[in-house]
Amino acid sequence: MTDIPATNPPSRKKRISRLFRDLCSSPLGAFSCFIVLSFFVVGIFADFITPYDPIKIDIRNKLTGPTRDHWLGTDQLGRDVLSRLIVGTKVALYLAVTSVSIALVIGTVLGMLAAFTNRWVDWALLLVFDTVRSFPGIMFALTVVALFGPSVNSIVAIVVVSTFPSYARLVRTQVMSLRNAEFIEAQRAMGASLPRILRLHILPNVIGPVLIVASMDVPLVIGVEAGLSFLGLGVRPPTPSWGAILNDGFTFIRNTSWIVFAGGLPLILTTVAFTSLGERLRDILDPKLRK
Amino acid sequence: MQTSYPVVQTQDLSIDFGAVRAVKNANMVINHGQIMGLVGESGSGKSTLANAIIGLLPHAASIAGGTLSFDGRDLRGFSPEQWQALRGREVSYVSQDPMSALNPSLRIGEQMVDIQHWSKGSLDAKLKRALYALEQVRMPNPDGRLNMYPHELSGGQKQRVCIAMAIMARPKLLIADEATTALDATLEVQIVKLLKELQADIGCAMLFVTHHLTVVEALCDEVTVMYHGDIREKGPVSDVFSNPTDDYTRSLLNCDPARIPEKCRRLPVMSDPTLKRLADPVLDKTRIDKTQDPILSINNLDVTFTKPRGMMDLLTGRAARRVEAVKDATLDVATGETVALVGESGSGKSTLARAVFRLVAAQSGEIRFENTDLLKATPEAMRKARNRMSMMMQDPIGSLSPRTTVGAAIVEPHLISGASPGLDLQQEAKRLLALVGLTEDFAKRYPHELSGGQARRVGVARALALNPRLVIADEPTAGLDVSIQGEVFNLLASLRETMQLSILIITHNLHVVRHLADRTAIMYQGQIVESGNTEEIIRAPQHAYTKLLLAANLQAQH
Amino acid sequence: MIGYAIQRIGVAILIVLLAITALFIMIQFVPGDPANVMLGPRATPELKEALRERLHLNDNVFVQIYYFFIGVLQGDLGADLTSNRPVVEILAEQVPYTAMLVLSILLVTLLGIPIGTYAAVHRGGAFDQISGVVSVSLIAVPPIVIGLYLILFFSVQLKWLPAIGAGEGSFGVIKHLILPTFAIGLTWIGYVSRLVRASVIDVLMQNHVKTARAFGIPENRVLRRYVLRVALPATVTVLGVSIGFILSSAVIVEILFARPGIGKLAYDAVISRNYPVVMGTVLASTVFIVIATTLSDLLNVMLDPRSREQNT
Repeated sequence: MTDIPATNPPSRKKRISRLFRDLCSSPLGAFSCFIVLSFFVVGIFADFITPYDPIKIDIRNKLTGPTRDHWLGTDQLGRDVLSRLIVGTKVALYLAVTSVSIALVIGTVLGMLAAFTNRWVDWALLLVFDTVRSFPGIMFALTVVALFGPSVNSIVAIVVVSTFPSYARLVRTQVMSLRNAEFIEAQRAMGASLPRILRLHILPNVIGPVLIVASMDVPLVIGVEAGLSFLGLGVRPPTPSWGAILNDGFTFIRNTSWIVFAGGLPLILTTVAFTSLGERLRDILDPKLRK
Repeated sequence: MQTSYPVVQTQDLSIDFGAVRAVKNANMVINHGQIMGLVGESGSGKSTLANAIIGLLPHAASIAGGTLSFDGRDLRGFSPEQWQALRGREVSYVSQDPMSALNPSLRIGEQMVDIQHWSKGSLDAKLKRALYALEQVRMPNPDGRLNMYPHELSGGQKQRVCIAMAIMARPKLLIADEATTALDATLEVQIVKLLKELQADIGCAMLFVTHHLTVVEALCDEVTVMYHGDIREKGPVSDVFSNPTDDYTRSLLNCDPARIPEKCRRLPVMSDPTLKRLADPVLDKTRIDKTQDPILSINNLDVTFTKPRGMMDLLTGRAARRVEAVKDATLDVATGETVALVGESGSGKSTLARAVFRLVAAQSGEIRFENTDLLKATPEAMRKARNRMSMMMQDPIGSLSPRTTVGAAIVEPHLISGASPGLDLQQEAKRLLALVGLTEDFAKRYPHELSGGQARRVGVARALALNPRLVIADEPTAGLDVSIQGEVFNLLASLRETMQLSILIITHNLHVVRHLADRTAIMYQGQIVESGNTEEIIRAPQHAYTKLLLAANLQAQH
Repeated sequence: MIGYAIQRIGVAILIVLLAITALFIMIQFVPGDPANVMLGPRATPELKEALRERLHLNDNVFVQIYYFFIGVLQGDLGADLTSNRPVVEILAEQVPYTAMLVLSILLVTLLGIPIGTYAAVHRGGAFDQISGVVSVSLIAVPPIVIGLYLILFFSVQLKWLPAIGAGEGSFGVIKHLILPTFAIGLTWIGYVSRLVRASVIDVLMQNHVKTARAFGIPENRVLRRYVLRVALPATVTVLGVSIGFILSSAVIVEILFARPGIGKLAYDAVISRNYPVVMGTVLASTVFIVIATTLSDLLNVMLDPRSREQNT
């Protein structure tokens, strides 16, 4: 067999770099890309770049505002806020990557299942998706925390269960509409097997919208963590997380508003960046298919 | 009625579409009560010109020069209020796609009352006017229709509603922009007849934009021919059509398969008007091999669609709804023969084709391909069969996977059937592209970068990849400009000569059938009502529906 | 139409049943013995056993569910484990506060519709670009953070608006509602305005709008009857589906602003293993969400005549 990349469009690398260029073409897009990349970099190398030990307590120095030693000041136990924020990035990154990928995989599998099985199984699956969606998320979150104790993995479980239905529904809708598309019929007329059609013709068309949902889910994860940590049900202290920092800051908001202000910044930047990215992706993917 | 100004007058009118000049220095006059045909292929600028008269140019377009006046009034400086006063009262518009022209969330009556915004009458008076308009367009059950929603009406009825809305104010000018193009031939005939009667009744002028030359001949007094933004010719229809002075017009008329009475094996096309070759009966006879069994033999085929029962149906014990798409169909295609399956939308012809490839399930009957009954075939036998027959689907661009390049798509049949390891796919792609007259660089393009005609050729290339014995082509000429139709026709005609191909062509275009098909079968509501030698059927149709179909399609013949 | 409504309501009831069952099953795994919690460590084993019998805690899950629903149908949701007050009573006290908050959020969210429509009609203009950036930012940031910042600016720094409690008297109540409402509402205004914008842009390009204009129908009428009427059903559907999120956010925000309502109630109940109250709050919120989703579905079918065909 020769080297025509049979049914694959120009090589992966070229497509990804082209995507990058499109994404970064607007100032907002470039900014978002930058933030997202920083998020990953800081999250991965967090432990190496903190100026101070994030959990080291130094009561004498508590609740200072920004100083030359502590750029973002200290919290009520004298811990350096900047270091805690940096390590908090690691936590956020772990949460984002784990929950989104698990939910994505579960949702895609179930969505495909729903699209290809008979009407009754499909109906039953839809019922499951609807039920999960109708379950008040916060109640579920509280119950999981009550069951398994507050921890990072509890948050992952909560987010996965809350978000997989949206992936499943999306995949199901996309696959169902593609199933009747004329080019799929042409494939069947040529005798292509189902696995082949799935792999080469359906999956590539489904991945786009799924990625968009995934990028919008990252802010959701971060939000859930912030909310739960705020209730004291999130990540266990003394591990710093953005939500925990906000919680601490809120308790002492009358003393210094600085912690809340600074603590919220990386959160806002990251969530806005991911959401903009998602919107950009949506704009890019759509007109391309429409000519 | 003494008026000094013509209804529409343009002088050196130019309209730009972004950087492109869509209409160049157009000079056109439409007089009161005159029916003007505006003819051209896609991209000629005819729709742009029509849209300018009613002030509905899209954002990207603007008038770049010249004058445009309606009944003596300069339209170029019109304010929104002036346009509002004009539209629906003095000028009205019927658009191409009746399916989407009506507001889906409002009843017909409500929309027709909305349109009478200029009238200060009571709601009752407005409803009466709407009712009268529906009666004028011969709408059955006009009273009931007023209360219905658009999705409850058929395509033809929706178009009648659109026309009724257009005539309610007894306008001075009615613009019909490809108003009949999307309709079946028999329906088109009715609507054209209706328009002619209405025009006589109301005395309005009409601007009829179309690329169907036969309709222009039947309906219009004057005709204007456009090409790439220029007006190439204008004048009374009878003059222009019998003695065109302009080259383009002449080619356009000569290349219309409808206007070529003799059967041809090559049709003239715009790029090469001398290409016309008459059919050779000897060649035709030798092409067909009647000594063997027919390569495709469909016998007593039944295809029924059952709408699955929903929850409520189960509870109320309602039976499932069934639609019999194909009833007891019998059809043969001999080796080397070209058979046409003709019918209008809903006749079941596409379903029959899809049944051959087992894309839909058949309830009973048999489909024999090269002596294998496809309906009872094992997956292995089916796979072998698919190597020797292929299908070209209706939507040229839609039938190609959007993320696959042309080059990859046309060699895909090799990959699916298990290509022989020595096969050089790149070479193969080149060969197939050359076969259908496309250059090598097309291999890198994506479906959305192709024109309709190019995509059609790619479909042919893909269908021929495995050197099939039988090709089923579903509406190969639909949606194409007349001259591109000729090119596709020539392609198929030459291929069947060189490759000894048997073709089953599914179409509603009787002109292509006339030139291309040896035998024809007419399908109506799932049943094959008549079949036989093409020339005989055309000369002496037996079935009532056949006669209707021929009359609607072959107007140019008399 | 009626058939569809019945079907939809049937499904809704089924969903509530399933949700409660799921919760019951989950609760089974929570460590801790309610009898212990209620009666304290000094109680005798017999007393504890008697209590367990009374609460059916020794029976399997399905029996418990059965008894629970019998109770529900009789209007009895059990009693608070510590105070012994009927759960129904407790709920009746707290639910109105949450309901008030959710309703005011919904009202505020409706502001997104004119914003999105204007942006769509004047696409590409200054308003569109600015509102686009603002909307995306609002959608992105979690309500808690917005709430915190709102408190920071309006309460702590500017001292304009209160941040704690629900307030007295109609004016006080409204003043106390403002910050919590906007903490969540801002996000949803952003979201709805983007949705509406996309929908309206889509509809503006459709043939029936062009036809309506071709007949000279006045532009504001076109906007109302030919654009919005066709574009809005999609937004309504999405809103209905999102009610669950609104409620979740409301619960967290209630705790942030120390307002009475289901939020604090549920939080305390879960922490103290006060099962009847937990069940009560979950039931109340699930029912609320299911009602909202069903209503929005039915509203959708009413607005869009075409979908009636598909669904019956």
